[in-house]
Amino acid sequence: MKKKSVEDIFLEIKDKSELMVDLAYSSLLYDNRTIAEEVYDLEDVVDELYKNLQKQTVENVSKKKLGVTDALTVLRLAEAGENIADAAQEIADVELRDVELHPILKMSLRESDQVFTRVQVVDKSVLAGKTLGEIKLASETGMMVIAMRHDKRWLYGPNKNTKIDPGDILFAKGPEDGEKHLVELASGKSREI
Amino acid sequence: MSEKKRRIFGRLQRTPKEKWKKEEFTELEYEPTPVKDLLTEMKDISELIIDLAYSAVLFDNEEIAEEVKYLDVRMDKLNYDIRMMAMMAARTKDDAEQLAGILQVAEAAETISNAAGDIVNLLSKEEKTGPILPKILKEADEQLFRIKVSSSSKACNHKIGDLKVESETGMRLIAIRREDCWIYNPQSDTDIKAEDWLIARGTDEGFKDLSKFLHGELEVLD
Repeated sequence: MKKKSVEDIFLEIKDKSELMVDLAYSSLLYDNRTIAEEVYDLEDVVDELYKNLQKQTVENVSKKKLGVTDALTVLRLAEAGENIADAAQEIADVELRDVELHPILKMSLRESDQVFTRVQVVDKSVLAGKTLGEIKLASETGMMVIAMRHDKRWLYGPNKNTKIDPGDILFAKGPEDGEKHLVELASGKSREI
Repeated sequence: MSEKKRRIFGRLQRTPKEKWKKEEFTELEYEPTPVKDLLTEMKDISELIIDLAYSAVLFDNEEIAEEVKYLDVRMDKLNYDIRMMAMMAARTKDDAEQLAGILQVAEAAETISNAAGDIVNLLSKEEKTGPILPKILKEADEQLFRIKVSSSSKACNHKIGDLKVESETGMRLIAIRREDCWIYNPQSDTDIKAEDWLIARGTDEGFKDLSKFLHGELEVLD
């Protein structure tokens, strides 16, 4: 297996930590424990990545492949990503407690600028049977799918090769006009991508 | 009413020069604001500030870094206010339990903003960090971009929603820099003006389309 570079590991930390923040807020918005539990799992992944990155950075310095200043910069940047991941976990923790969520919590998340939406893809939808890459959902509707549910299985941070099956539930975020478009596509009302 | 007054998103705003830096050290004044409004703003800032922080680093841009620091200070104030409001709202044990959850989310939002502050602080170290930061961030799938609007673009003086900027290109607009002012999280009714700097997030493909349109090389987006 090819060893991942320090840059690659950092980008993974960045991507995962941002996904975690999205998932954590949506776990509260939909009062959904499964999403919150995923945030916990991702936090373990990020911890592991961070440890890896530390080790590799130090190795690179000792091999003189990386200067001390650059190494410190990378480590500090990654630390910030780690802190963001921890914060996301704190948010998800609120969902996982056995205390009912305060109604204000949901209300304030719903008023936020960033629209979160949950849509089910029906049989006749043009999205059914296609991969995210084929339909270019993100560039056509502006909506980014952050998680999907297929029967009882969850998929977090899907990529362009992820296939959408009829019945799948998509969790997406994006601008308001994109939400309408996505809902119409998923429900089969619109066939125009 | 108070919401209109306080909200800082989607409209042109000038960061008070230097004054906000003092705010950090002065005694905070208590202003009654609904918990809901405070939390919404904290959540919105926590999402915006990460993107701004990485943009500051990617473009090695002091101005964006200053905005991050300003928002970080504002977040401290919001966190203080929300604690006060929550404490006054608690009447029973059940209230307190539920409100504790709200405060935990608020605290996490503040942690995120502190992390963003740490990221931009990497720029202002005496020891020049060199090109390692932009190099690391350039490889990401979803990238941050900066585009200047040319006066020949058909986008000028039109609303973002009418132009369908976000839904046609998939680029998410994070902020607009207009002269010495900023618009955070531009809304669908925000106008685009010539000479604006747009900070957007998205794919290479979306960026190419959007920059052609904003440079006046493309008449319409579709």
